[in-house]
Amino acid sequence: MTTPILEMIDIQKHFGRIIALSGVSFSVMPGECHCLLGDNGAGKSTFIKTMSGAHTPTVGEMRVAGDTVHFTSPREALAAGIATVYQDLAMIPLMSVSRNFWLGREPEVGFGPLRWLDFKKADAITLEQMKQMGINLREPGQAVGTLSGGERQTVAIARAVYFGAKALILDEPTSALGVRQTANVLTTIDRVRKKGIGVVFITHNVRRAMAVGDRFTVLNRGKTLGTADRGHISSEELQSLMAGGEELAQLEASLGKTI
Amino acid sequence: MKNLSFKAVLLASLAATAAMGVVQSASAADEKYVLIHHSPDSETFWNTVKNGASLAAKEVGATVTFRNPPSGDLADMVRIIQQTTAEKPDGIIVTIPDLETVGGAIADAVAQGIPVVTMNTGTAEESKKLGALLHVGQPEYEAGKGAGERAKAEGMKSFLCVNSLFPNVAGQQRCEGFAEGLGVPLGEQMIDSGTDAAEIANRVKAYLSSHPDTSAVLTLGPMTAIPTIKALKDNGMAGDIYFATFDLNPDISQAIKDGVINFAIDQQPFLQGYLPVITLTNDLRYGVLQANSVLSGPGFVTKDNLSLVESLAGKYR
Amino acid sequence: MTSISTDERLKRNSLLRRALVRPELGAIGGTAAVFAFFLILAGGTQMFALDGVINWSTVSAQFIVLAVGVSLLMIAGEFDLSLGSMVGFSGMVFGLLVIHVGIPVWVAIVLTFAVCALIGTINGVLVIRTGLPSFVVTLAFMFILRGATIWSAITFNKQPVVSGISDAAAGDPIAWLFGGKAFTGLFTWLGQQGIIETYTRGTRLGQPIVDGIPMLILWAIGLVIVGQWVLTRTKFGNWIYAAGGDPQAARNVGVPVARVKVLMFIVAAICAALLGISQAIEFGSAASDRGIMTEFEAIICVVFGGALLTGGYGSVVGAALGAVIFGVVQQGLFFTNVESSLFRVFLGTILLGAVVANTYIRRSITGER
Repeated sequence: MTTPILEMIDIQKHFGRIIALSGVSFSVMPGECHCLLGDNGAGKSTFIKTMSGAHTPTVGEMRVAGDTVHFTSPREALAAGIATVYQDLAMIPLMSVSRNFWLGREPEVGFGPLRWLDFKKADAITLEQMKQMGINLREPGQAVGTLSGGERQTVAIARAVYFGAKALILDEPTSALGVRQTANVLTTIDRVRKKGIGVVFITHNVRRAMAVGDRFTVLNRGKTLGTADRGHISSEELQSLMAGGEELAQLEASLGKTI
Repeated sequence: MKNLSFKAVLLASLAATAAMGVVQSASAADEKYVLIHHSPDSETFWNTVKNGASLAAKEVGATVTFRNPPSGDLADMVRIIQQTTAEKPDGIIVTIPDLETVGGAIADAVAQGIPVVTMNTGTAEESKKLGALLHVGQPEYEAGKGAGERAKAEGMKSFLCVNSLFPNVAGQQRCEGFAEGLGVPLGEQMIDSGTDAAEIANRVKAYLSSHPDTSAVLTLGPMTAIPTIKALKDNGMAGDIYFATFDLNPDISQAIKDGVINFAIDQQPFLQGYLPVITLTNDLRYGVLQANSVLSGPGFVTKDNLSLVESLAGKYR
Repeated sequence: MTSISTDERLKRNSLLRRALVRPELGAIGGTAAVFAFFLILAGGTQMFALDGVINWSTVSAQFIVLAVGVSLLMIAGEFDLSLGSMVGFSGMVFGLLVIHVGIPVWVAIVLTFAVCALIGTINGVLVIRTGLPSFVVTLAFMFILRGATIWSAITFNKQPVVSGISDAAAGDPIAWLFGGKAFTGLFTWLGQQGIIETYTRGTRLGQPIVDGIPMLILWAIGLVIVGQWVLTRTKFGNWIYAAGGDPQAARNVGVPVARVKVLMFIVAAICAALLGISQAIEFGSAASDRGIMTEFEAIICVVFGGALLTGGYGSVVGAALGAVIFGVVQQGLFFTNVESSLFRVFLGTILLGAVVANTYIRRSITGER
């Protein structure tokens, strides 16, 4: 039994008198894609922020590769190999792909106060990494704004992977994308998973989750309602777990299986 | 046919006359002078100076251009003087608002052989020190003192000095002179009024209401006089309080007639524009130069000698 | 190193296109237009003689020094409207320290820089902590600093001007670095050789009419080189772009956005202090009305130079070109004797043209719609 790369055990997060997370248990194995499904308002963003180190859990334990951890900042989580790609804050459109790729970790030449960017190395690696992900850039100086939404997500994922992510948390990566671009991103996730990285795919769209997930967990009102393996649960079941069983059954009846 | 040839001859002779006229004025020396002053564009006092200078230029067949820093920044004025020097005009007419700041640039112009006449702010000593030909102006302190003595003679004992001329030290000197003439020390009677008309009026009213025993008001030019007239009309003191001002313009002469202003101290800006041009031209053409500087003022304008002044106020007076 | 094969369906940008399409292209075009204009109208006058060139170059340098600081700050995503007041304030602080407190000039210079850096820090920290737009916070300081300048001058010196700095600065070890001239030996020699005109009378008889390159010009050139290099070629420069482009995304990858922004406020404040001190030493006096409106002129230079008002994109060289134009136009006006009103029309048109060109260029570079 391999150790999960990232594990959350009975996490609770309180903000004053508001209980955002009231009992979350979640784990990700290396090389798997574990989908977290939750409707809007279920507590997904608090969950992500806790996992990525932006919030500290009020109650509960987090483990990375079996060791208990206590993150006080996103930078610490990043250093431990937990990379997060947010929905709309992945890339800076005005800057080039290369500059975005290396942001915060720019390679330099020179010494002492006289250091400058190693453009040759940065550009070469950027082009290579992009090619591996299936994006052919005209030149590394190309601005991120010239890429499509799906390509931008891919760049963000490629960046996280290159810089040693062991677990990759993706926050609604395909919600704003069209069909073809979604397919591209899902392909990227597949590539990433094959590298042995654990992927946490957070979404409210069951179909997309079903396309790429190995395991599925539903988050409802701050609590995880259980985990199912691929093939052991249907999309309708997932759907109704997300929305809270009874109401959805009634809605389904009047809308006739169009959900 | 005959008509056409007649017209052609007429045109040709007109053209020839015009050409001769052009040739003629070109043979008159056609000196180029530049007049540089320190005030921002909003100061209307310079209208009279410009008119005086332009009139003199027309009379002798020279040209004058006028330059000033639009915001009144003396640093910009220095750059203008340096730029003018680079152009090498036939003469420079310039004010000395602050010897330390602009003195160097003026001295450099003199050292390059350009004749300089100073006018308006500055003293004859400063002018001489810089190597200018002469100075045409009104000594600020003495003018203020003369006015103060007149006010004292009429029994005044306290005053308000409305100064909008910061950072030009001339304003300070006028107020100090007035205080000396009046026989009181200059304390807080000098207020910085700013240059906005509404602000000036408000500050005057505020001062007068908190110092009700003030017996005289001195304003330093049209910029402060006009809003002060309004302020005094607003608080009912117009005509009651002794009111003297520097410089003239149509509103000021009207106020003298109405009895609101007792007298205006005329530094006769016409002379400050007119005389330098004549001086420079005489020196360049005939090599003659007055031996000393010219005091263009103070001339005191009261109700009694107002009539000629009135018609020319703001233009030549 | 593996060779990277490119997709044969994609156009590769020609070297020429890549060299031309850059943020400062609009500024380069605009500057060329202005110079062409003046060459036509004033080519025969002294405007392009040595002393004429030094005259407008010095005024340009005044604008450049501020524009460099403001461009870095604006690319980082913030404004500072108090910089003009800071110019006047720094000059006055320096002047009062020298004349009223009586300390040596070099000490006063160091102290003045320190005070202005502190105020820049306060501006920056206030903006970060309160989350208020920098526009608002620095607008407040615009008034605070100007008022303090006038008040301190009147209180300690009884008038809004502090004079006598030239005498105090004579013989000081570093004062010449700020208001003096460089290469004086070279220019004296050129004067002796007859290559430069000399004074014909007075105490300066025989000296060349241009006796050196004003230090402010050297500072301006230096600031542009260092500023552009830091912005485009260093790690920190990448952070400046990121902090302005999308501060949250930058924070997410570990860029210390707050630190970057505060540092840029400090840099801008120091540029303002440099200008204020240089003017005080050159003119020998500090005045409470120096620098009025210059922060807005600097912002115009920066926008002309290709920067986005919202940050994340721009060029230091472009802003410097904008500053050069301001100087050329302000002084060139007098050489051509063209009405200043007509020139304002011309300047506005050039500005508009440059900004429109910049927008198209930026869209082509960054792919924005």
